[in-house]
Amino acid sequence: MKRLLVGFMILFISLFCMTAFAGTATEAVDDTANEVIAVLKNKSLGTAAKKERLEVIYKRMFDEVELSRLSLGRNWNKLTASQQQEFVQLFRKTLENAYANKITDYKDEKVKITGERALSADRAEVQTKVISASKGIPVLYRLKLKEGKWKVYDVVIENVSLVQNYRAQFREILMKNSPDQLIEILRKKAISDVGKPSRN
Amino acid sequence: MLSSKIRMMRRIFFLIFLIALLGAGYAHGDDTALMLHKSVLSDETGAAAASETVWNSEEGTGETHMSPVAPKSHDDEEAIDEEEEGQEMGEVTIADPLEFFNRAMFQFNDKLYFWVVKPVAQGYSKVVPEIGRSSIKNFFSNLGFPKRFISCLFQADFSGAATELGRFVVNTVWGIGGLLDPAANKDLSLQKQNADIGQTLGRYGLGHGFYVVWPVFGPSSLRDTIDIVGEHFQYPFTYTDPWYVGPSVRACESVNSASLRIGDYEALKEAAIDPYVALRNAYAQYRQKMVQKKEKGEAPAPDGEKPEQRIFQ
Repeated sequence: MKRLLVGFMILFISLFCMTAFAGTATEAVDDTANEVIAVLKNKSLGTAAKKERLEVIYKRMFDEVELSRLSLGRNWNKLTASQQQEFVQLFRKTLENAYANKITDYKDEKVKITGERALSADRAEVQTKVISASKGIPVLYRLKLKEGKWKVYDVVIENVSLVQNYRAQFREILMKNSPDQLIEILRKKAISDVGKPSRN
Repeated sequence: MLSSKIRMMRRIFFLIFLIALLGAGYAHGDDTALMLHKSVLSDETGAAAASETVWNSEEGTGETHMSPVAPKSHDDEEAIDEEEEGQEMGEVTIADPLEFFNRAMFQFNDKLYFWVVKPVAQGYSKVVPEIGRSSIKNFFSNLGFPKRFISCLFQADFSGAATELGRFVVNTVWGIGGLLDPAANKDLSLQKQNADIGQTLGRYGLGHGFYVVWPVFGPSSLRDTIDIVGEHFQYPFTYTDPWYVGPSVRACESVNSASLRIGDYEALKEAAIDPYVALRNAYAQYRQKMVQKKEKGEAPAPDGEKPEQRIFQ
């Protein structure tokens, strides 16, 4: 009888340990946010070096394929495998170019985690606030547990979901254009944005 | 003589309006309470189901979450499909029959921003430090009290209205006429209630109608246009004497708030593949959440839901 009890205890503990091993979504976001801030604060790094390091963090933290897939919605299946691959890359480039300029804008903003919500068995939403001198912007990260790691598949900034926003755009574009043309549009955007100096 | 008479009349009308509002609020009170109660109940069961799945997941079974028809072989794909469907069903769209006009207005506002507002705001922000601009923003935000208070009353959100009233008093008296925001600190924790008329109408079930981009005022919808008009009447400076004081103060406020948000619009525009569609969708999503949040925020969180939602604090 006692053995059975002990056995149950061990089972329970190991069950809890399994979730602990994966870490919580909040921890994943918190760790990444700290890493990003450390890079941004590092004065010995130039903008290019910072960009490089942030790219590594981004690739680790984001589930790029899922991000692309959700952004295209049903249209994802209209793309061939190679088109999908190229799309993922170009989409990353687009996001990178848009937000890279923000690196130089960093002014001691802090990330405060305000909560976590389970969306489903393997999906969670981590609620954060980016706090600057004058305002706090709510930013939510939606994560999915994939192979023991929490990966971001959507970011909601001030109640606007990135994935939904892009989906609306891609839908509109794909109504008038073929997938090939869409990729061409993205390609052009990626190239034209590269040489552009920071607007700020 | 005449103008003072008009002002007097206005005040009386305002009072009558307020009383009518209060009456309407109470008349609606019971219904909404009932409705909210119902939604809370259904939420509760939803939350309970969700927490069940969370616990089940430890044994590796997430079937409760899967749709019953779905075969188990492509777990991952199904989940994504379902997620997609879920998101697509809840996807926010807004009709845009005036797209041609709207796109033109979008271009106009875009130029207005880059050629006028931004340079002015940039120059201004060089002169006034961020803390000062932040205080000015607080000041203007404090002036927006009537709008938020009345909208809260309209929504039968009496705790929200009380919060707003408390904020107004505290910030006006102890916050140096609203320059500081002591009401929002940890001890009082009276947070600003983002309530407006469009949201109120949305809460009572009125849809957007369609998307409109107004010159100068920017993205709006048929429903939310009432806010542009209503805000004008609920803005204290509208009633000041020479007529141009109101608009000038509004312009100052816009420049001040723009100076705190330089870069936001640029980021949105740069990240977008079609900036017009991006902004339209962002507007629809933002407004939708505002209407929804108000609904949720009013319902007292049932005990079973809170710990789930806020594991980490």
